[in-house]
Formats: sequence, C-alpha cells, structure tokens
Amino acid sequence: MEYKLRKAEPRDVPDILRLVKELAKYEEMEHQVTLTEKELLEDGFGDTPFYHCIITEIQGEKSSEDPKVVGFAMYYFTYDPWVGKQLYLEEFYVMDEYRGLGIGSGILRHLSNLAMKTRCTGMMFVVAENNEPSVQFYKRRGAEDLSQEEGWRLFRFDKDSLVKMAAPSEE
Amino acid sequence: MFFLQELAEYENVAEHVKLTQKDLEQNGFTNNPFFHVIIAEVPEQHRTKEGQRKIGFALYFYSYSSFVGRAIYMEDLYVMPEFRGKGVGKALMSKVAQLGLAAGCHQLDFTVLNRNKPSMDFYFSQGCFDVTATIGYHCMRCKGEALKWGCAPNDM
Repeated sequence: MEYKLRKAEPRDVPDILRLVKELAKYEEMEHQVTLTEKELLEDGFGDTPFYHCIITEIQGEKSSEDPKVVGFAMYYFTYDPWVGKQLYLEEFYVMDEYRGLGIGSGILRHLSNLAMKTRCTGMMFVVAENNEPSVQFYKRRGAEDLSQEEGWRLFRFDKDSLVKMAAPSEE
Repeated sequence: MFFLQELAEYENVAEHVKLTQKDLEQNGFTNNPFFHVIIAEVPEQHRTKEGQRKIGFALYFYSYSSFVGRAIYMEDLYVMPEFRGKGVGKALMSKVAQLGLAAGCHQLDFTVLNRNKPSMDFYFSQGCFDVTATIGYHCMRCKGEALKWGCAPNDM
C-alpha cells in the first residue's frame, strides 16, 4: 500500500486531534483529553512550537478523493543533563485498520534518523505496561524499559496541585 | 556541572554523566535553550566551608501532553545535603510551578528513582501522584544501536 509520510501542516490539526482521541480511547482514557484544535494550532504552528508532528496519509481508491490521514507521531526535544539532547516521542498512533503494513515502522525510522541528524543521543517515550502489543513492538526494536530496569517512576502534579504549589508560602 | 556530579553520585549513577561544561553552556545559554535552570543561592554568612553560595538547583524544560497541552518537565531537582529540611527544595519547585503556570502549562512531570524514598515522600507531601504506579506508564528509551539502525526490528 502506498503511503506518504510528511510534516504536519496547520490544516492537519483536526485530524491530529481526531487521532489523539482515538489513541486515548484505545488506552481507555478518552475522558482525559481536554486539548482543543485552537490550542493545537497555537502550540504547534506558532513562532516557538511546543511540539512537532509528522503524519502518514494514504491516497483514496479514487484519484478524486482527498488523501486520508491514518497515522501520526507527536514529538519534541528534551534534555538529559547527563548525556544531552533527547527526542521525546509524546504520541505515536496508526489507525487500527491500517496496522501491520509497515506504517508504524516507517514513522519510527523517520524519527530515529531525525534524532541522529539533530544530535540527540536517545529517543524517549512512555508506554502503558498492560499495552502488550506496544511493549513488544518497542522491545523488539531495542528499547530499554527504564522503569523496570533502573526503577524510574513517572510522577505528576496536575493543574490543581500545581496551583497550590505555586502559591506563596503562608510563613 | 558540580551539582550534576553530586546528584549523580547521590543516585549511584555517576558513570552515566557524559556531558561537559561546554555542552551545558551551548545547550542552555544560547538563543533557543533546550533547558532552563533556577539556582538557590544563600547569603555570604551561610556559605559552605568551601565557599559555595549556590546550594541547590532545578533544571526544567517545556514539554507537551497530547491530552492537556502545554506542560513542564522538571529534569533535575537537587539541594546540597547540609541545606536540606529548610524549605529550599519546596521553594525551587514552587518557582518551577509558578513559571509553568505563567507559560500556560497544565501539569508538571518528573521522574524519581523507586529506591529514593526521602524524595518520593517529599513529592507525595506536595500533592503529586505516581503515574507509573496508578496508570502503569513505564519510561522507555532507544539509544545507541537501537537508535542508529532506525529501530529496525530484530526479526527483519
């Protein structure tokens, strides 16, 4: 199947949000998505983007049909003060009916090349431990599980806790 | 650089520190920095025996959550042992939280080693939750050969 991998453009924002919600549904967390198309547009396509996105589209069966966006990856650059720049893979998703065709591998290969071109020493991401297919997909490709092997746990302050912590102390 | 070595020694992973002072200067202090740092400094009369006045730091950068949008990631938080228990860590985190909120961020993420009980207790007391324990998210990394070969699967 012919597919095309390209950088996302502002017009892709509705598809990006659609796929974000599909992935959230797959992880049984769809109610947690509060991001809007407006925020995605401002945050990804302004002067200082907070994230970058690549998408995979396939041509419709009839040439008059618009191509369909069937997969995407959202990433940004982070920093590990011990070894330098990292590429952080925030989201990576291929629609159910288009899996097993090499689209996911194509996206990862593109990101790996990009990571090396931009002098990143690693690519980081999180995966849910009960997501067996994804865990195996990544381990087959040489990914290390830092939580299991080194004991790293991801901690989070949500918005309410963040506001409480930012408040000046009562002393 | 001194802080990074001290923090690495505390976590028993000193051999993993590969960066040099020059890398840090280039990556953190040019036009589009990859990270930001807040330093805690004490007045002259409280300096250490070696004359140090900078006694703690927080290193962070802006990140993005596909669920909630703008976020902030605290990569490192460290206070020298003799200055702990005085609210310095709390003050550093509070500053990162303030800067994050001012930039429109919705959450603050960071990682902690599961054997670092004092830090975990401190963070829980500040109101955060353990994403790895509650949602089961594991932190993963592809580096070296795995990155070089485009993450090609072993069975190809």
